[in-house]
Amino acid sequence: MTALLDIRNLTAVFPGGRRREPVRALSGLTIALEKGESLSVIGESGSGKTTLLRCILGHVSPSEGSITLFGQDTASADGAEMTALRRRCAMVSQDPYGSLPPTLTVLEAAMEPWLLVRGKHAAGEGEERARNLLAELGLRDETILSSRVRLSLSGGQRQRVAIARALILDPELLLCDEPTSMQDASTRGEIIGILAKRQQSGMSMIFVTHDLFLARKAAPRGIVLHKGLVVEEGLCRDILSAPKHPYTRALVAALPRLTSHGRPK
Amino acid sequence: MIDIRNLSVTYSRMTSEGRGSSAAAVKNVSIAIRKGQFSALAGESGSGKSTVLMAIPGLLPPGTAVSGEILLDGKNLLTLPENELNRIRWRRIAIVPQGAMNSFTPVLTVGRHVEEVLSVHLGLSRKEALDRIPSLFALAGLDGELARRYPHELSGGQKQRAAIALALACSPDYLLCDEPTTALDVITQQGIIATLKNLVEEKGLGLLLISHDLPLAASVADRLHILKDGELVEEGDPGEITARPRNPHTRALVKALLDLEEES
Repeated sequence: MTALLDIRNLTAVFPGGRRREPVRALSGLTIALEKGESLSVIGESGSGKTTLLRCILGHVSPSEGSITLFGQDTASADGAEMTALRRRCAMVSQDPYGSLPPTLTVLEAAMEPWLLVRGKHAAGEGEERARNLLAELGLRDETILSSRVRLSLSGGQRQRVAIARALILDPELLLCDEPTSMQDASTRGEIIGILAKRQQSGMSMIFVTHDLFLARKAAPRGIVLHKGLVVEEGLCRDILSAPKHPYTRALVAALPRLTSHGRPK
Repeated sequence: MIDIRNLSVTYSRMTSEGRGSSAAAVKNVSIAIRKGQFSALAGESGSGKSTVLMAIPGLLPPGTAVSGEILLDGKNLLTLPENELNRIRWRRIAIVPQGAMNSFTPVLTVGRHVEEVLSVHLGLSRKEALDRIPSLFALAGLDGELARRYPHELSGGQKQRAAIALALACSPDYLLCDEPTTALDVITQQGIIATLKNLVEEKGLGLLLISHDLPLAASVADRLHILKDGELVEEGDPGEITARPRNPHTRALVKALLDLEEES
């Protein structure tokens, strides 16, 4: 079986400027993902997790190493081939304010990727899919669906529209960058449940988060990124219960939790 | 003690058609903030947490309908004239506002911000103000040398600590913090929360922490209040609330959080 995604020794360096040092965002990262398999990427700001997603989609070129997506080396893919690869993926960006078209209505925004790829003649099916997805994500109210994204949505609601947009074309690989950061605790669990259902029917997912509990819920396997390096990898369960690297240990210790009333010193 | 009694706040706003409408943001909320006690007010976005905080020093927008009482040592802040409120703001009750990290003037050093507060509120000279900076910064867990830097030269955690130092400038009795660690990494967050806890325990400040993060609020507070749609639905000992939530909303919230924390 060919791997869905095979990343070998990926290094990404952003060039410096006159007064800036070059930034090494990722150093020698290796990941393999089979079809239907998911991975959580755990890291704090500046760890390189967003750069990783951007490299997979070919928005950032690796300085070293290789990325093989659906069996094709992304460095040798031309524009049309890269577009074809990207169409089999979907991404939920970190920022639901910058990533949604502000002037479309909520329903139009959810349908937009479908219309772009399938064409206007499939609009009927697109609308039905969009409505079902939005309803699944808790957006049913007709007045919300018909009002403009810019005018009427909270950050949490925008994130849910972004997830609907990402799922509408049934991606084989979903890349999620902190997709539930603006959700209230109760909604967050529901969204993870919706993504889990998709995974059961064969979708792969890379779920980027700084929250170890959420990482464990999103995917069994995880890697911990720190300053562009993988400092720990394995089952999220084990990372949480017995972290090995000093950084991961500090991260686990700093997690606020309800179950133990550990008070900060 | 700051004794908030039956506070209700209704915002009035203009609709796009030019008609006036009103929205009740806080309904009949009573909270006591005591010196030497760490209180937390937790709730989801839009629950009215920030409105409660801003009502205390009288910083709600003009035209907002406010009822109830906010007593500071028996004096009702809601009926106090502006000039008397100005003697209380910063000197007795200071706030660390939401997004404090982004509230510095980019063209002034962090130290100049502190000097300005000390000059306006306490009438200190520049020299006197400069002398106070090292101990003030130390209280907030910052190296005094950082006072010479501009805001963009500090990390997010350092900026948040500088915002705390700024709030502490006039040695207030009460510190009101609105989501002071929301944009920060958890390891940085842990350090800042420990600093706030220390201010309560060592300096005897009365502190109100506002947070959407129930596990965080519950892990640090002596007393926890939960707000839902502008109403206080639960209050008491954090351990008691999280172990035996009484309100259906709190129960659902605690269950969702425990589901995430505990292995399924």
